[in-house]
Amino acid sequence: MFTAETLTSWIIFVPTIFAFFLVFFEKKAVEAMRVFALAGTVVTFFLSLALIGQFTAGDGGMQGLVKKEWIASWNINYQLGYDGISLTLVVLSAFVFLVSMLASWGIEKHVKGYLILFLILETGVMGVFFALDFFLFYVFWEVMLLPMYFLIGVWGGPRREYAAIKFFLYTLAGGVLMLIALLMYYFGSATPEAMAITGHSGGSFDLLKLAEMAQSGKIFSPGLQVAGFILLFIGFAIKVPTFPFHTWLPDAHVEAPTPISMILAGVLLKLGGYGIIRIAFPLCPYGAQVGAYALVAIGVISIIYGAFAALAQTDFKRMVAYSSVSHMGYVLLGIAVWKISEVTGAAEGRDYWLMGMNGAMFQMIAHGVSSPGMFFMVGVIYDRVHHRDLNQFGGLSGLMPNYSGMAAVIFFAGLGLPGLCGFIGEVFVVLSAWNYSKTLAIVSAGGVILTAGYILWALQRVYLGPVYKGPHPEAITPMTSREQAIGWLLIVPCLVLGVYPNFVFNYTNDSLTKLVETLDSGYQNTPKPNTVQTTQK
Amino acid sequence: MQAIGPSPFLFIGAVLFVCGVICMTTKRNGIGILMGVELVLNAANLNFITFSRFTPLGLDGQVFSLFVIVLAAAEAAVALAIALNFYNNHLTIDVDRGDELHG
Amino acid sequence: MESLGNTLANLLTIAWLLPLFGFVVQILFALRWWGRKSKTAAYLAIFCIGAGFVCSSTAFYLWGEGTDWAVFKPSEHGHVEQADAGGADHATAGRDDPEHKITSHESEKQAVFAGPLYTLATFGNLHVSLDYYIDSLTLAMFVMVTLIATCIHIFATGYMAEELVDDYVDHQVHTHDGGHFHRPGRFYKFFSYMSLFCFAMLGLVLAGNIFQVFIFWELVGICSYLLIGFYVERHSASTAANKAFIVNRVGDFGFIIGLMILWTSFGTFSFADQHGTNGKVQPGLFSMARGHDGELTKTADGKTVVLKTEQDGHGHWEAPAEPSHQKTITYTLLIVAGLGVFGGCVGKSAQFPLQTWLPDAMEGPTPVSALVHSATMVAAGVYLAGRFYPMFVPEVLLTIAYVGCITAFVGATIAIVATDIKKVLAYSTISQLGYMMLGLGVGGWGAGLFHLITHACFKSLMFLCSGSVIAGCHHEQEMTKMGGLLRKMPITALTMLAGVIAIAGLAIPGTSIAFSGYHSKDAILATALAYTKLNPIHFLLFVVPLLTAGITSFYMFRLWFYTFLGKPRDQHLHEHVHESPWEMTGPLLLLAVLAAGCAIGGEDGRLFKMLTFSEPVGVGHGVDGAAAHTVSLPGHAAVHESHSTAGSAALLAAFIGMSISYLVYGKGVINPADIKRQAASVHAFLANKWGFDDLYDVMFVKPAHVVAKFAAAIDKFVFDEILHTFVRMGIAVSKWDRKFDEGVIDGIVNLMGNSTYSLGISLRNVQTGKIRQYVTFIAVSVVTLFVLLFALYPKG
Repeated sequence: MFTAETLTSWIIFVPTIFAFFLVFFEKKAVEAMRVFALAGTVVTFFLSLALIGQFTAGDGGMQGLVKKEWIASWNINYQLGYDGISLTLVVLSAFVFLVSMLASWGIEKHVKGYLILFLILETGVMGVFFALDFFLFYVFWEVMLLPMYFLIGVWGGPRREYAAIKFFLYTLAGGVLMLIALLMYYFGSATPEAMAITGHSGGSFDLLKLAEMAQSGKIFSPGLQVAGFILLFIGFAIKVPTFPFHTWLPDAHVEAPTPISMILAGVLLKLGGYGIIRIAFPLCPYGAQVGAYALVAIGVISIIYGAFAALAQTDFKRMVAYSSVSHMGYVLLGIAVWKISEVTGAAEGRDYWLMGMNGAMFQMIAHGVSSPGMFFMVGVIYDRVHHRDLNQFGGLSGLMPNYSGMAAVIFFAGLGLPGLCGFIGEVFVVLSAWNYSKTLAIVSAGGVILTAGYILWALQRVYLGPVYKGPHPEAITPMTSREQAIGWLLIVPCLVLGVYPNFVFNYTNDSLTKLVETLDSGYQNTPKPNTVQTTQK
Repeated sequence: MQAIGPSPFLFIGAVLFVCGVICMTTKRNGIGILMGVELVLNAANLNFITFSRFTPLGLDGQVFSLFVIVLAAAEAAVALAIALNFYNNHLTIDVDRGDELHG
Repeated sequence: MESLGNTLANLLTIAWLLPLFGFVVQILFALRWWGRKSKTAAYLAIFCIGAGFVCSSTAFYLWGEGTDWAVFKPSEHGHVEQADAGGADHATAGRDDPEHKITSHESEKQAVFAGPLYTLATFGNLHVSLDYYIDSLTLAMFVMVTLIATCIHIFATGYMAEELVDDYVDHQVHTHDGGHFHRPGRFYKFFSYMSLFCFAMLGLVLAGNIFQVFIFWELVGICSYLLIGFYVERHSASTAANKAFIVNRVGDFGFIIGLMILWTSFGTFSFADQHGTNGKVQPGLFSMARGHDGELTKTADGKTVVLKTEQDGHGHWEAPAEPSHQKTITYTLLIVAGLGVFGGCVGKSAQFPLQTWLPDAMEGPTPVSALVHSATMVAAGVYLAGRFYPMFVPEVLLTIAYVGCITAFVGATIAIVATDIKKVLAYSTISQLGYMMLGLGVGGWGAGLFHLITHACFKSLMFLCSGSVIAGCHHEQEMTKMGGLLRKMPITALTMLAGVIAIAGLAIPGTSIAFSGYHSKDAILATALAYTKLNPIHFLLFVVPLLTAGITSFYMFRLWFYTFLGKPRDQHLHEHVHESPWEMTGPLLLLAVLAAGCAIGGEDGRLFKMLTFSEPVGVGHGVDGAAAHTVSLPGHAAVHESHSTAGSAALLAAFIGMSISYLVYGKGVINPADIKRQAASVHAFLANKWGFDDLYDVMFVKPAHVVAKFAAAIDKFVFDEILHTFVRMGIAVSKWDRKFDEGVIDGIVNLMGNSTYSLGISLRNVQTGKIRQYVTFIAVSVVTLFVLLFALYPKG
């Protein structure tokens, strides 16, 4: 019953099925609904684990391909598949949804609506990771947007409407840019040459076919690739988010309820990185190479800028949100360290680029564990004292020793301590950067100082010291067993990933090796206009 | 008998028609109006028969007038029923009182 | 040999991982299983590190057996088979090569065991892994670390015993109502952190590649953070912990840059050569840079270094002749890489200009200061500089020498005016670490590391003594309140004296009978003298350390006289002083023996010989600066010549320092207060630690916060403002749109509707509902129509 082909669809739609049955629950049966929704996320998580079982190691290509006609007149298909890149992210997402569901027990308002939206959101996310049809991808992308809007806008903090609309507008703007690129590629692939690859007349939305066309270098002109890349990149960069498209993130995080912050940080940000790896780069290798320097620079600026901004925050959650900007900068940096040899036009030091790509993937996974952890830790104390002012904490290590210990581990993971998950991604990315640009590599290495600065300073103000300085000291109680369970659920992968990084690399490396080769040949095959200079240093 | 053309018949028909119309416009009694209607119908019948007799149309006119007679009977029955109902509601059959449908 | 390598690796791995096991058990279960008042956690920690010591010693013994104890034989007879599991430099290198007469017997001494432990990741041809690299330096460090750590663990069971309560009163923290702060004791936590630290430190020493060093580098950093901040309630402690970690991260910034350069240019992190899966041997960093003879291969213009990536018939690594096969790195980059890695060492070893964190780190419990901040972790920087020595070019070594020289002097001068007993020792640690760096920098590889080991012994001893004093004085650390403690705590005082003599470098003139510090310091000074003979322009590198040796002797004896001799300055305190229990004095005695005797024989002694057994090739015969480099490095022969001169000078300096100290503080001939008054500005300057803290605060900390605020403000006032402007524009446009809609489009539609309506209204008057009227209308209309018809179309 569960072959790789069917599993993908199951993973996408199981949450929807559960959401559908939630409709029939009595409004008062809050606890039952929560358990039921939790069961939905658990089932999805186990299905994603089953998908690992179906995965053929050592194969960099797409597996479990499903292709069903959907809108035949436009060549739109219901096309799914996965490789190491999507697989790791799917497992991560299923895990983060599971943990966030556990963290959702504190939601008391309109529980039924919350749970239904929550599960629909999961469907959207999974759909994006599995979709191999550009149109289908776009549809899932937008499906994801709406539940998030309501989850922030209804269940959020005092400025929730502002935050929700800001989030919505930013993401929608990104979506529109993606839509333009989608149409550009659809009509760009309607040429007779493209027919040889697609096997049918008219344009194509098939991402694999489009990537193949881009690799052949003859179908998409350099101009189209550059324009398409800019559109796609901005569309995804908003989601990542990178400097200067990041200002929706702190607001959304601060206003969103804790579990939604966890999902936002743990899953939704990864979609941006995934989009860049899965769509922006393969569809426009030439554009990606031309823009590589800008990408690396943006990544580095995000790292430093995010860290500085985090240092200045007085709101605990806002600080963690800015740390996300900083950490996701490494992802962009790692993806884009694509150096071209001036002589041959081939990639120079391709292994370093591969390392950067892998580091970026790892950083996504690692951040997907540590960042929800940090938000959860902020949420735990916020639930008790109802404020987040960093200067009004203190002494929690004495009052809540278990909580403080767990928080310290999670924050150290964010700080990039060896043995915990944050280290591998950051360091691998930074190490791979020297091959591309010495200056930017040095600047990016400077991030380690700032990261240590803002995290340790925050830890000192919140957990250390003799007494708690803020309001509601009477409300500080030890962690409940549910909270402890969540804490452990987040700490264990932090440790496992930090000690055994091959847990990720085993799946991503083959796919990324293939991707790197494809991009390299795609760039070489594209005829270069003489006037365009590559932005190599 | 031979010398008589259609004109006298048509004249009588016209007179009947005008009588009927005047009857309808002047009478306030519902029954009186019904009588006016009968006069108008019969004027029409007379014309049908006249033209049927003095033109080569055959029996078409007669057939039409037969239909009209039958129709008039049915109409009278319905109209009388309406009048009775009207009387039940208004205790009169003065048609000027039945102006609820005015604009 | 393969099996010996495996055995060694297994033993050391056990020694390395045992403390980790201890840590996990203690942090997770100690409280649940044994409770707060049990010492079991400490016993577990002692067992782990003690077993580690046994493993290390066994490994050392096996290694000696395996290499036929070549270490302790006269070098002429030295014969070592190629003992190299990982395929490091060929042992018989250069034996048949008359030109390398000096190197030949050094190369023979190679007894390196290297190999992989665990692969972290593989990308194409790039491998990131955890390896082991075992040579005599590794073994010496292992034995030293485990031994000292065991002593300190035992000491700490006594020192930390007051934490064995449910209600610990922290007298240094005051609550709002003026009382002292109460909290549960954290005995088990202290030992769990100590175990974690031992794990990280041993991992660092065992590391077979520079990346692995970096991993454990960070881990010892976080342990240091946890231990400095052990008293989390004290604001000063948590600030000091933050400072230590962040300052170290500044050094790590350089370290990462070094790593990036090496990784990109060399394509490997490994020290030793590695066997690939395809049976091919991949050269390690050292082989690529130095080959078998310790020389760099440069291109004709001298600006580029060609890496030795091909093996010749003898198994020597040589640079490929074919330019297209050559892997190169520019000389400048090699310098930068060296400086970068050294930057990490500067941070960790508290060298100038990053020395400021170490004195603050004394906020931690005293056993931590003894273990982490004097004997082991801070020495890791020196260890790395020694381990990474083949990658340092003479320009880098010159920088190292100067940094070490400045550090030694700055640290020593501040120690003169410090009055906190632990702070004096902290500055002395900085100063001594500077010595080590200096020793390495002037080409004395063995000398620097020799001092590392001896310093670890006597400095941990002195810190433990100070701990004993502090415990005896009920947590009073100010020397100004002590005095005359000799009678009250004789064991502590005498063992401390042993340490003081050792660090001051006193010896009986004319003989080589001396405590350990004399030998190692002498070795460094001799090398420095030989260096300045070769490079007269850098004469300060000998003069300053010599002066510093005198100062060292002065302030160390000042500390001892101040604390243990003279009259009690605080009578109340004095009455309550007591000698420490056996679990504290026992380790003191053991360490005192080590401090006195670990370097017996000096440079002919076993310790030095064992260390220099692993000396990188090419150190022994020095470097002639005339050829290509800017500076020359002395060889062994040159050092040997300067030995007696340097030794006498150092001894003289030490005696002068001691005598002045005795006159001032022992005899009281000169009143220190007078000197203080005379040189008030100098005193203030020194007491202010040369103003580094203020300077950094103004230069870096404050600007960083300003930039941070600025970045946050940019977000708020620029990016958000741009977004808001867009939104406002959108709203304005939609307002106009609404007006247009409501005014124009709706207007037209409404107009049509209204006119139709009014027409209907006007027509309704016709509908009277009067049947007679309708009939009249019809009749009149028909007549009218007919009339019109006839009027208009008269003839039809």
